[in-house]
Amino acid sequence: MATLGRTRRQLASFLWKASVEDEVDAELGFHVEMRTRELVARGMDPAAARAAAEARFGDIRAVNAACRSIGNQRERDMQRTEYFGELAHDVRFAFRQLAKAPAFTAVAVLTLALGVGATTAIFSAVEAVVLRPLPYPQPERLAIVFTSWKGRDGSVSAGDFTDWRKRSTSFADIAAVNLKGVTVAQGDSPDRVTGAEATAGFFNVYGVKPQLGRVFTADEDTPGRDNVVVLSDGFWHRYFAGDREIVGRTVTLNQRPYTVVGIMPASFDPTDSHEQLWMPAAFTPDRIAQHDEHYFTIVARLKPAVSLAAAQREMDAIAKQMSVEYPKTNAEGGVHLQPLTETIVGDYRTRLLVLLGAVTCVLLIACGNVANLLLARGAARSKELAIRTAIGAGRARILRQLLTESMVLSLFSTLLGLAIAWGGIHVLIGAAPASIPRLAGTRIDGWVLLFSLGLAVASSVLFGLVPALRAASGNLQASLREGGRTAVASARDRIRGVLVTAEVGIALTLLVGAGLLIRSAIYLNKVDPGFDTRGVLSARVALRPTDYKQGGEEAKQSFERIVAELKNRPGVQAVAVASQAPLGPGGGSNGLIPEGSVMDIAHAVDARLRMVSPGFLATMKIPLIAGRDINEQDIAGGIRVMVVSASLAKALWKGDNPLGKRVACCEGAPDDPKWKTVVGVAADVRSRGPTVDVAPEFYLPMAQAPAEAWSWINRTMTVVLRARNGDAAALTPALRAAVRSVDPTLPVYNVATLQAQLGDSMAESRFHLMLLTTLGVVGLLLAAAGIYSVIAYFVTLRTHEIGVRMALGATPAQIVRLMTWQGLRPVIAGAVLGALLATWATRLLQGSLYGVSANDPLTFFAVTAVLLLVALLATIVPARRATAVDPTTALHG
Amino acid sequence: MAATESTKDRLHGTLDALVLKTLSWGPRHGYAVARWLEDTTQNAIQIEEGSLYPALYRMERKGWIEAEWGTSELGRKAKFYKLTTRGKRQLKLETTEWAEFAQAVSVVLVPTA
Repeated sequence: MATLGRTRRQLASFLWKASVEDEVDAELGFHVEMRTRELVARGMDPAAARAAAEARFGDIRAVNAACRSIGNQRERDMQRTEYFGELAHDVRFAFRQLAKAPAFTAVAVLTLALGVGATTAIFSAVEAVVLRPLPYPQPERLAIVFTSWKGRDGSVSAGDFTDWRKRSTSFADIAAVNLKGVTVAQGDSPDRVTGAEATAGFFNVYGVKPQLGRVFTADEDTPGRDNVVVLSDGFWHRYFAGDREIVGRTVTLNQRPYTVVGIMPASFDPTDSHEQLWMPAAFTPDRIAQHDEHYFTIVARLKPAVSLAAAQREMDAIAKQMSVEYPKTNAEGGVHLQPLTETIVGDYRTRLLVLLGAVTCVLLIACGNVANLLLARGAARSKELAIRTAIGAGRARILRQLLTESMVLSLFSTLLGLAIAWGGIHVLIGAAPASIPRLAGTRIDGWVLLFSLGLAVASSVLFGLVPALRAASGNLQASLREGGRTAVASARDRIRGVLVTAEVGIALTLLVGAGLLIRSAIYLNKVDPGFDTRGVLSARVALRPTDYKQGGEEAKQSFERIVAELKNRPGVQAVAVASQAPLGPGGGSNGLIPEGSVMDIAHAVDARLRMVSPGFLATMKIPLIAGRDINEQDIAGGIRVMVVSASLAKALWKGDNPLGKRVACCEGAPDDPKWKTVVGVAADVRSRGPTVDVAPEFYLPMAQAPAEAWSWINRTMTVVLRARNGDAAALTPALRAAVRSVDPTLPVYNVATLQAQLGDSMAESRFHLMLLTTLGVVGLLLAAAGIYSVIAYFVTLRTHEIGVRMALGATPAQIVRLMTWQGLRPVIAGAVLGALLATWATRLLQGSLYGVSANDPLTFFAVTAVLLLVALLATIVPARRATAVDPTTALHG
Repeated sequence: MAATESTKDRLHGTLDALVLKTLSWGPRHGYAVARWLEDTTQNAIQIEEGSLYPALYRMERKGWIEAEWGTSELGRKAKFYKLTTRGKRQLKLETTEWAEFAQAVSVVLVPTA
């Protein structure tokens, strides 16, 4: 009934084009005229009759306005009802259509759901890591302040920081923080946690209030009053079960009593290092005077009106002043401000955006496939659509209906896709290395839902519009007459060809990316770290600052006893200690000045210091290129010696023989440089893993290290021991027992085999590789499915033609060749397009590639070959079916 | 129609009821409705003829009546109104309410013997 009413109204409006206004005018005019006629019939004269009729009617203008207003409201009501009615009808119809073709629906929904799900999962990671603002008020005003030296950003000395704080006016607050291991007394097994020393403004910079108690004051940030500590929520729960009475009580840290003054909220992880507690840095006058030891991280909050650039200019000026005031330490020293977000998110932005781009490519391929399926369905449905057109449905109406179908399909897929994303996020977080900041916060929230909804709408238009336009504009008569067999087939072929070309192009780009990462992985696995990781166990051992105050002698002896103790244990082939072991934490760098150079920082070469016990190089199997290893004869008071790495030797003396050369470093003064003689040259090692290039390094005998060096390294050394039978992990109990026998209160932590650490050092690139390869393979398979369906369609479409050709004597081989060539043409076009696209896109991968150029020809070639092979398979299978065509059936059909 | 309606609504309601009643004998145009009201009530109810039209439009919007352009007795195009099913229901409701109202008023005003 509703349909009929609508048709009649449409017809009426079409014939008369009557607006509400015209209708009202006509109706009221009719009334007045009828009354006038009646009065005239009763004998009144026409003019008087009209006047009387109008008088009886009342205020005609007011009535007219009232009627128009009600009439227009009604019109709007009807349009709305009609729109929703049609929408509901379209949706119901769409459901019926989709239910009628379960195979099509299942394939389309699954394809899209995979694409939407994967894209949503990656987007949610991007959102958590890159887009979500840091959990501090006005996070954009937070910055890290680096010392920059020869273009490299580095940590800051206590002296520089103190001067910056005094002189700068750009910051609402500025603070120094330094992570350090803290020993927590816990019965008789001491625990080691990551803590931090920070200056008083630290919490204020972040603008975060403690959940309980208070933070420490500037007054407490002075030596002698600094025995207060602020705990993290995690520490509070782990050690005190969240006891609220803990504030005001005393805890023993590093053998000293500290009063707990406050607990920070659980979300507070200011340096993304999961430190557990914060104690005042309490700079002594000595430390404030120290401009040479760089180990503080400086965080600052810009004043509201000050831009980062303005603050940078101010700090540049201050750095310039200071380089004049402290020429020995600050010459050529600069300052660099970096937004905190950038420091934390850093490289991950590019990597994640590349992933998002890759996953979007997969979604695009999926959309291409669904568009293909819809084109095929459009062909099958052309008769139905032609009938609908014939009974009066407009083109726009049919278009709307087909797009509604796409939208329903898309929303369905999105629902399923969200479930896939939910699972994908869990897999992602589980598989990701812990070092990616903020990734654990990945979840499906409002933004992600909005994003996937946007994807649904965008993809439904993307895959639905072209097939719908094509179907809606189909030639009515031709479709009705021929039952849609060959109508518009050639135009459709072109579109299908374009789709295949696009899919292949995108897939090739993805595969080239994955291929480059695979080559990087092969390279990384082959790269020689410079030492033998197999069968080596390492662990950190920290001495207590309180017990080991008197210079280095006591500390040195403790570690010597640990080494001696382990040497005699069964299963231990070699053992040594070092302030930093390759792949492990710790360590710092020093400036080295070779003899003969001007004694000034500008002529120094920066190199990583490794304080070692005798036999460290041998234990690690780091090859000696020249000279000797550090040995038992290198004792305090003897001739000071050092071993340099090959790259350091080159940096200091170019090609000259370094043995016997002398270097000033780490201690002394220009008038007494405490020369150290080079006795050996060690091969370069990749101390930060295969992904990081070698850096200059040098080795000092632990016995000859300057006393203050022990505080640079927080009296913490790494014990490395090589297992006789290669089973490094099995030595763990022996290691713990040996340390216990020397001093039962020493914490042993970070116990791990070098092999495991080597794996960890490559975890991120492996993770990246895994994701991109998965996406590449999924893209390839989807593109192959697309090619297959297009060729299969061509074959069906041309059954008649094939029949004719065979009847005229074409051999099956010729038919297969013909169909294959037809199928491969768009594929080859796509491969060319993809190669061009990839040349541009792989530049974005630059930062993740090792040992291979972004335009590596071998990768391009191999990947293209794989793709063409897969495409050929996807083409030949349906092409061979063409030869099964029975000419007589084909011709009769 | 709720008991709290204003006088204006009551008047509207009464006019609506009369119009619906008029249309219950078959489709007519606005002028015919006005004429019929005049004749049957013998001018006892004096309404401005103009107020009839907003009432018709309102009822059309509510779906009680349907309009259709047709040809009048004099061969002119006129808008004919027709009662819908919902309109018939509404008429029944109005009639009952009016009867109850009249009953209640007459109990007070007209003492029974």
